[in-house]
Amino acid sequence: MSFLFNLLGPQKAFSGGLFLPDYKSVTARRPIELLNVDGPLHLPLTVRRDLKTTPCVEVGDHVRRGQRLSRSTCHDSLPVHAPTSGRIVELGRVWSAFDGYLPSAVLEPDGRDEALPQHQGWEDESLIVQLAEHGVMCADPRAPLHVVIKQAVAKGVTDLIVNAMETEPYLTSDLRMLVEEHGRIIDVICELADALGVSHAILALPFRHRRVVKRMQAEAQGRYVEVAALANPYPQCQPHVLVKALLQCEVAPGGSVLDKNVVVLPLSAVGQAAKALLDDRPLTHAVMTVAGDAVERAGTYRVAIGTPMRHLAERVGLVSPVGKAVCGGPLTGHALGNEEAVVTADTKALLLFSEVETSVPVPCIHCGWCVEDCPVGIDPTTLMHLESRMNCTDTEMAHLRACVDCGLCSYVCPAQLPLSETIKRMRTRFERERDPQWLRGS
Amino acid sequence: MVARVMIHHRGWIASESSLSGEAPYRRGGSTHQHIVRAWILVASLVGLWGVVLFGIAALKVLLVSVLCAVIADMAIQIMTRRGRGRLPRAVLTGLLFGLTLPATAPLHVAIVGSLIAVMVGQAIFGGFLHPALVGRVVVQAFFVNSLSLSGPLLMSPVLAPGHLLVGDLDKAVPVTDYQGWLSPQASATADAYKIDRPVQILRRFTQDRIPADGEYFYEPLLRDQLPPWWDTVFGVVPGGIGETCTIMLIIGGLFLIHRGYLRWQLPVTILASAALAAAIMPVNLGADYRWFPVLEVEQGRAVGLAYVFFHLTAGQLMLGAFLMAGNVVASPMRVHGQLVFGAGIGVLTIFMRLYGTLEGECYWSILIMNALVGTINRRMKRQVLGLAG
Repeated sequence: MSFLFNLLGPQKAFSGGLFLPDYKSVTARRPIELLNVDGPLHLPLTVRRDLKTTPCVEVGDHVRRGQRLSRSTCHDSLPVHAPTSGRIVELGRVWSAFDGYLPSAVLEPDGRDEALPQHQGWEDESLIVQLAEHGVMCADPRAPLHVVIKQAVAKGVTDLIVNAMETEPYLTSDLRMLVEEHGRIIDVICELADALGVSHAILALPFRHRRVVKRMQAEAQGRYVEVAALANPYPQCQPHVLVKALLQCEVAPGGSVLDKNVVVLPLSAVGQAAKALLDDRPLTHAVMTVAGDAVERAGTYRVAIGTPMRHLAERVGLVSPVGKAVCGGPLTGHALGNEEAVVTADTKALLLFSEVETSVPVPCIHCGWCVEDCPVGIDPTTLMHLESRMNCTDTEMAHLRACVDCGLCSYVCPAQLPLSETIKRMRTRFERERDPQWLRGS
Repeated sequence: MVARVMIHHRGWIASESSLSGEAPYRRGGSTHQHIVRAWILVASLVGLWGVVLFGIAALKVLLVSVLCAVIADMAIQIMTRRGRGRLPRAVLTGLLFGLTLPATAPLHVAIVGSLIAVMVGQAIFGGFLHPALVGRVVVQAFFVNSLSLSGPLLMSPVLAPGHLLVGDLDKAVPVTDYQGWLSPQASATADAYKIDRPVQILRRFTQDRIPADGEYFYEPLLRDQLPPWWDTVFGVVPGGIGETCTIMLIIGGLFLIHRGYLRWQLPVTILASAALAAAIMPVNLGADYRWFPVLEVEQGRAVGLAYVFFHLTAGQLMLGAFLMAGNVVASPMRVHGQLVFGAGIGVLTIFMRLYGTLEGECYWSILIMNALVGTINRRMKRQVLGLAG
């Protein structure tokens, strides 16, 4: 029976979802490549717009690799470190795809890449302090990792799930990390599980990468990390869907997985924590996939934070002008928004497509593909009608909140309707209208 | 080798819109145009087979109905000032309507039917009742005599002599005024043969109008009345242009299933429920109703199974299951709903065939179930994650 199970693979663990063409064949085979810094870096001095920091360098200062550029002013904030040695030439602002304009420091590298002498005192510090001092960021939820852990401990979580599913097309950074850093990842998951005080740590992997699964299982032998190999229909990578598949518990609409005493960490955060905890190196580089049909040398790169996206595109080479530039996955990512956008701590991909997909929506043809493929079971076509309505019922609101923004309905729609875009817009609109504070304010 | 594009100062993006927009940024390849094109391809393959079987007359009927559908659609576009781009749908409607007509249908039937299919079925009903079938049942009511597929009327279903595929002509009556062939054979005494449609024979049988041979009821039906089974599979029996060729319909349906434009559950449910209904529903034999005809054995032969098989391959059920019921607009949204929908079509078809007198029973049952699609959709909502209980 186990032979059969190996042959056929696991069953799809939730209703809905779709096996997408994944476009990973090129990038999945290339090792993670470190891109040397060879141009000015526009370093954002904070990782999120609402986390305030104060710069601790002046214009004209010479900094070394790993030196702190900004200091956190509150407990939840993160410091930012220099990725290479060089001179600060300007303090200004820089565009990030997620946050818009952030305060920044422009670092002109001197090419010597001198490192700060290794600090020896971290052994005494707790893991939370180490993560905070090294500036480790978590991509989903988008918060500093130590804040996520603190919230989880306060909630009393019982399960830790490390999300290495990565079912979105093009993205390969998690896969490459699993291949290249398998031992460290298991070590750090154990440390994080200790810090969280959970007894059950699960590493969720796509079953189709069988050799990776086997190696991780061998690494996890005798540790208390369970390696769960799941079928990978998109969006198995969404935390709500992952929790449903692994623990059979359903998160209420609008809630987070913490409500079910589970914490889901992306593998990128674990990789960053490994750098901080095992190597004692602050977060200065982001592991990201650069792919798309306009890219000449697609692959997974370790890119210095603050590298302008345009500069990155020049480094990997373009075969045609970029028709659509996306930061993040093709179904859940963000548009760059500005040509001056830079790589930030939670950037996981830069996708450059040569053609703009122009879609002319036609009226719904009632094919039911969106209903059948929706991972949470809502009916996007009926929610489209909300656009012309003044208010919505509680059931419709619950459906709007249940949506996990995977974008699959818009992806499959043969009438090219902007289904997921409309659901997202209606959710913000009706949540604002239902918010009494907003009403009073107006 | 691809030439590397030199990046000038602001030249790396094609336009400002490259940097804006909402997720998702990629879409699946299938648009409504792809779906309609695939259906047109399959329908024209089936139509081509019909032309091989029934001659140039079938081609005339098909072309006239497609042409009228296109003209009607253009007229509606001009009248309502709606944008263009829906022409492929009109072509598909006309083609599907043409497939339901026999090659002997006079051209005015094709014209009226396809105008009604597009103007009423597509424009007024919005496609929620299958437009081609709306046209078909309306002309069925208007032109009973021209369409009636049995009896002593002049325009009866015919079969080709001396062409690519020839059916079993033992029981056929030669006709000389069909004139449906491109090059009539000089040596042939007749240019077509009249025989009854298999469905008609089955209907007569279930109403006990086929005399029994001693104690055997099914033997005279299978031996003397029905054509051999391979004729019904390859379509060498009288009937509509696209109704008879079971094997082509199955191949076309498999293509649509492979493309993902037809869910395999739908035709399978229709055929399975029809087979089940035919296997169970009682047949009037010798003045009493006998249940479970599938269990009948005569002279050591499983004649009941043959009877059920002919119910599936004879007539419109295959066309209905593979090309008509799966209409994207007029079928339920979810697979669960399609199971109910398909089961309803199969059972209703056999019920109307056995105990009704209405012609085109499969088309009527598809239309009836189309009318119930809204109810089925409302009943078959999915469970939303996190809202259970």
